[in-house]
Amino acid sequence: MSFLPFGGGGGSSQEINQQNVAMVEQEYEAVTETFYRIVDSCYKKCIPPKYIEGELNKGESVCIDRCFSKYIEVTTKIGEALAKKGQESGKGGFGV
Amino acid sequence: MRDFMKFYSSLVDRCFNDCINDFTSKTLTTKEETCIQRCTDKFLKHNERVGQRFAEYNQGVAAQAQSAQSGSGGWFGGGR
Repeated sequence: MSFLPFGGGGGSSQEINQQNVAMVEQEYEAVTETFYRIVDSCYKKCIPPKYIEGELNKGESVCIDRCFSKYIEVTTKIGEALAKKGQESGKGGFGV
Repeated sequence: MRDFMKFYSSLVDRCFNDCINDFTSKTLTTKEETCIQRCTDKFLKHNERVGQRFAEYNQGVAAQAQSAQSGSGGWFGGGR
């Protein structure tokens, strides 16, 4: 679970509080979900459904790497835009 | 386990849709079997590659969060 950079600040290690556990679980779900979505989108975009070979060829590999970066970038951009919208309207809008 | 079933069904779904289009027989043809085999191999490799990029990305985010030390961290630089 080293890939979960949640803010582990606060309480001592002894008090495993229920809220933290729920937060980690939620984050884990979100990360897994994102991973599956990227796999799905980039497969659709990069792997043509003609299976001449079982290997990823050079073009496909490069496509996957770029697709991944762009997916993250889009996620970040949209996140920022939503955050900005939320701040402007003040009400926060989505409970993210 | 739930993750595995999700993975398994998405793989079956994908390869079935990409490889099986002919219903003039009720068993798989050799061609279809080859296609399924390659589709499976390819998807596993694809999954692995995205996994690598994902791990790299998360390491980067974790390192950033650590150096910022504020611990706000989180995903996609997003607040909550």
